[in-house]
Amino acid sequence: MTSGTGPPPKISLENITKKFTVRPTKENPEGSVLTALDGISLDMSAGEFITLVGPSGSGKTTLLDLLAGLTKPDTGRVLVDGREVTGPGRDRAVVFQQYALFPWRTAAANVSFGLEGTGSDGKRYSRKERAEKAREYLDLVGLGGFEDRYPHELSGGMKQRVAIARSLAYEPDVLLMDEPFAALDAQTREQLQTELLRIWATTGKTIIFITHGIDEAVYLGQRVAVLSSRPGRLKQIVDIDVGDRSGDEDVRSNAAFVEHRHKVWSLLHDEVRRAQEAGHAKIQPDGSAPDEARNVSTGKAA
Amino acid sequence: MMSTPTLTKDPNTLAAPAPSPATKRRGIKPRSWAPNTGAARFRSGARRAGRGIWGSGAIILFLLLWELGPIYLAPASTRVFLPPLHVVLQALARLVENGQLQNHLAASLTRSASGFGIAVVAAVALGLLVAWYRSLDQFLNPLLEVFRNTAALALLPVFTLLLGIGEISKISIVAYAAFFPVLLNTIAGVRTVDPLLIRAARSLGLSNFQLFQKVILPSAVPTIFTGIRMAGTSSILVLIAAEMVGAKAGLGYLIVNSQMSFLIPDMYAGILTVSLLGLLVNYLLVAVERHFSRWRTAVGSQAA
Repeated sequence: MTSGTGPPPKISLENITKKFTVRPTKENPEGSVLTALDGISLDMSAGEFITLVGPSGSGKTTLLDLLAGLTKPDTGRVLVDGREVTGPGRDRAVVFQQYALFPWRTAAANVSFGLEGTGSDGKRYSRKERAEKAREYLDLVGLGGFEDRYPHELSGGMKQRVAIARSLAYEPDVLLMDEPFAALDAQTREQLQTELLRIWATTGKTIIFITHGIDEAVYLGQRVAVLSSRPGRLKQIVDIDVGDRSGDEDVRSNAAFVEHRHKVWSLLHDEVRRAQEAGHAKIQPDGSAPDEARNVSTGKAA
Repeated sequence: MMSTPTLTKDPNTLAAPAPSPATKRRGIKPRSWAPNTGAARFRSGARRAGRGIWGSGAIILFLLLWELGPIYLAPASTRVFLPPLHVVLQALARLVENGQLQNHLAASLTRSASGFGIAVVAAVALGLLVAWYRSLDQFLNPLLEVFRNTAALALLPVFTLLLGIGEISKISIVAYAAFFPVLLNTIAGVRTVDPLLIRAARSLGLSNFQLFQKVILPSAVPTIFTGIRMAGTSSILVLIAAEMVGAKAGLGYLIVNSQMSFLIPDMYAGILTVSLLGLLVNYLLVAVERHFSRWRTAVGSQAA
């Protein structure tokens, strides 16, 4: 699955480094520089499903922001279809852990949010076309009939389904998912994992999926990329082959799954311990990290 | 069902189960479940009537005291200054009949509506600018703090000296009083937009203007309307005071002029009108605010 002589990669990370300047505080009057990502290189082919695991503060979300075009790397390049990413675009969609639905819009209006106005390809949808698309994608995520509900009337799992439908609705090639199921209960999470695999199979999107859960990473990914503790480096990429995951059989208990799971666990284990000893916590979107200032792990609930 | 937009929580609506999908869509308040048997319906009807009586008990007692107190309790000399309710109502009816009340009411409403309207437009516009441009905020904020903490009525003499005792000075002072609640709430509304929503919108490639129009403004609307409701209340309060100081028409003028002319029942009729007007305005604004905040949260939350 790694890049070689085959077709050109869909996404290509070339030696990415990203640093944040930590604002001066009372304890740390000079401020300092935090290296979130250091020398990441990774190729992904079209239609691939890759999961990304790493300890807290290893720069997973930063990497996702770079792919989404929400931030720029300090060195290196992010290429999608061979073109450098310079900003957000409708060829990539982000699914957030906290759903990020617009609470004043109904489920259908949320889904059609990305279809409003003129797209980058100059395409314009009429109101009717938008409503049709919204219905189509709500059906795809199993929420047909919930078009007129407001987010506060939906459960966590349903909200995340709406968010996924919203991301799919404007037909991006790449789906970037930042711990999308972390806030859900175990049962809902398992259900949505199965659904996601089904959606992936029907739509053929390229998916990058960040997670804390090793089981989730091994279950979903064709490859699992393990990041080291800060500064985030690509420690290893594990190819996963657990057979057919779409069947009714309990994949999580077969020998291949257990073996892969153990492999990822061992790779991650040392890194998690190291991150804990250093007291690393999540890097905030504005580039500050609570632990850099106080050296206290806030243990952000995931 | 009670649906008066007061801030008291109706324990029955709070205890009601989550609204069913059919009723919840258009923000219809959840009705208490009513079993279909006649006896149960009678009992729930009686309970509701009982609650209604208890809820208006204080008002009824107060009106009774107003009616009977001056007649039976007060000495004759006081009764002149505190006429019983029916005398006041008679005066009110007479004022309506000869059209005086309508004239005063129209004068007051015109002034408060113009001042209020000007304030809302100006304050929302400035609030959006201040919240969007941080440097503008840093520049203006100290001055705004000074003005905000200067009671509007303390400036009444200034307004009167500079703008005379005509309409302009009254509209201006109403606008001034209504300006700050709207301004502060607009700023707060824009500032408290969930950063995650902004990230989500950015990831869709929205421009600054689209972000503002599609995310920040809709998200701030409920908070802005809270400010508008507060402004509505204070615009009436300030107007009445302004009319008492110098005016030729208006409810404040009616009250003061009646007092001076020793038409005590007319004075009370004016006061009664002011309080009814205040109630009505608040009722309307709360209804509007609620309409715009429907999406905010589910059952059990209250607009503060």
